[in-house]
Amino acid sequence: MKKIFGILGLLIAVCLVTASLSDSFLSAYNVENVLRRSALFGILSIGVAFVIITGGIDLSLGSVVCLVGCALPWLLTVQHWPVPLALLAVVALSLGIGLFHGLLITKLRIQPFIVTLCGLLLYRGIARGFTADQTVGFGNEFKSLRLLATGKVPFFPGFDLPAPLLFLAVVAILAAVFLNRTIYGRYLLALGRNPQAATYSGISTQRMTILAYVVSSGLAGLGGVLFVLDVNSAQPVDFGSFYELYAIAAAVLGGCSLRGGEGSIVGVLVGAALMQVLRNMITLVTTRNNVEFAIIGAVILLGVVADELTRRIAAKRRAAQVLQGATAA
Amino acid sequence: MKSPRSIRFAALLGLLSLSLGGCNKPAAPSVAEGEGKLKKIAFVTNGVASFWTIASAGVKAAARDLKVDAQTLMPAEGISDQKRMIEDLLTRGIDGIAVSPIDPVNQTELINIAAKKAKVITHDSDAPQSERLLYIGMDNYKAGRMCGEMVREAMPNGGSVMIFIGRLEQDNSKRRRQGTIDAILGRPDNSDHFDEISAVLEGNGFKILGTLTDQFDRAKGKANAEDALAKYPDLGCMVGLFAYNPPLILEALAQSNKLGTVKLVAFDEDDATLDGIEKGTVVGTVVQDPYMYGYKSVEMLSALISGKPGVVPSEKFLDIPARKIRKENVVEFRSELKSRLSAAQ
Repeated sequence: MKKIFGILGLLIAVCLVTASLSDSFLSAYNVENVLRRSALFGILSIGVAFVIITGGIDLSLGSVVCLVGCALPWLLTVQHWPVPLALLAVVALSLGIGLFHGLLITKLRIQPFIVTLCGLLLYRGIARGFTADQTVGFGNEFKSLRLLATGKVPFFPGFDLPAPLLFLAVVAILAAVFLNRTIYGRYLLALGRNPQAATYSGISTQRMTILAYVVSSGLAGLGGVLFVLDVNSAQPVDFGSFYELYAIAAAVLGGCSLRGGEGSIVGVLVGAALMQVLRNMITLVTTRNNVEFAIIGAVILLGVVADELTRRIAAKRRAAQVLQGATAA
Repeated sequence: MKSPRSIRFAALLGLLSLSLGGCNKPAAPSVAEGEGKLKKIAFVTNGVASFWTIASAGVKAAARDLKVDAQTLMPAEGISDQKRMIEDLLTRGIDGIAVSPIDPVNQTELINIAAKKAKVITHDSDAPQSERLLYIGMDNYKAGRMCGEMVREAMPNGGSVMIFIGRLEQDNSKRRRQGTIDAILGRPDNSDHFDEISAVLEGNGFKILGTLTDQFDRAKGKANAEDALAKYPDLGCMVGLFAYNPPLILEALAQSNKLGTVKLVAFDEDDATLDGIEKGTVVGTVVQDPYMYGYKSVEMLSALISGKPGVVPSEKFLDIPARKIRKENVVEFRSELKSRLSAAQ
């Protein structure tokens, strides 16, 4: 928990600075927008956090977002499938991809980096293949289905909660309960910390690893559906491009160690929100959004360095106090 | 030794990879092979977009009419991908290439190398310093000015304007944006200057608040439109200069209940844009004629390869002018577009 205080502080600081520089930052309209974007990226980030906790990596999720995001409108508007069947197909597709990754990693012992890197190429290529590189979208149809991403739930007068935030809330609560309150969550953390020890303690590490990749791809699929319902069009060449890096960055910022065995869902949510607030800040406060990546990179790096330094200073102080106590005694 | 289970699994993988491989059939050539030695022409775009699908219909139609082997190539990964495609075409012994250079100044050398081995022309975006034989396209500065004129018609008393565009690296997008700005501010024709992306520009009763780019990330493009609406609650007009920008702006306007209140001036002919014009939520759009870019590129290259340089205009520029599409001519324009696309298929 301590690990997320630093990043939470950074998020609050960025929000305060933005609010003081821009009157519109705290307007209901803008807060709704930022919440919706954070929710969409938050869903992806929670998925990849599961994999990172096991000590793995999932580079394919941007391409899964692309594949699912293109497949849904393609099935509905080009193939004219009924909505429930199309949704079922994309859910099965994304879970199937996760299972495929998990089996390759556990049964054939191929490195997760390679498996998911090939996935990154494969799924975008497949999406480009069946759409023939054409932009797919819903046009003016499927308005009620699109409410899943564009809908709002009245919260208090003048402020509504964007629908994706509700999806995120459900996903985050389930993920947090799973990770912290069930034995399987403990297994997952143990597996990430020391896979051999986990195996010797009788944990079915292969099953847990497969589960992590299924969760990751499944949530990437959910993200893909919500992204395309929100944006209303997807171009297979660039849809979801680099989203895996945003998701991985959010997870790591939120306290997941790339070496595995550590991570908290709240931290991941804070990390995802920080990335989106930074992007929003750049458009609201400055008039040049071409330096966006530079600012995001610099702020995050500064935050992480400050976090590390304060932790070291605190540790030194504690050590000094212990030493003082010892000499006094 | 492998256990039977892992062998089964490996076999399953093999089957899966075979079935996936089967999805990737090579595209059929536009003219049947074996009809003697046909002139080989390539039409290289600057990316993948519905705009280029229309151009590719023109390429196909010209290939059929002129009996040449013409193909359209769309680089998906930017400038390095485009370079690779051109190099591979030269290796294959292509007779003529029409290319839309992504970065004209820095690709001059590549175009010159290609021009030594094949007939090379540019389309859509020019590389005037290079040894290309001809440029087919429109003047993006003039087309931008058409956009600016529509902004002024939509807001006769002036107001604030925000511009949205994919990226500003390429020559055509710079000129398109500059034309829009100059027409809104009532400046005289001067296509050679470039206003800073972050500058707030005022004149003629208008205030141009800035230009936002998205590097083709659609979620980002929509976020840009939303952020502009949040930042400027009294925004008067939004201008979307790449084909996918206006539909994203429409989404942002619909979600903030500002459809019709904030004016939207568009570029290119996305379906959602044309729907918006019919409904009155989009003021109008400026369209290029990609079909003719494709058709004329093949026609000119075919003539050049046959040794008929006389077809090339003396100024080395074949103008295919842009048009303004508004409520009164949108239905007619759509039916023309539809018939061209279906004729090519």
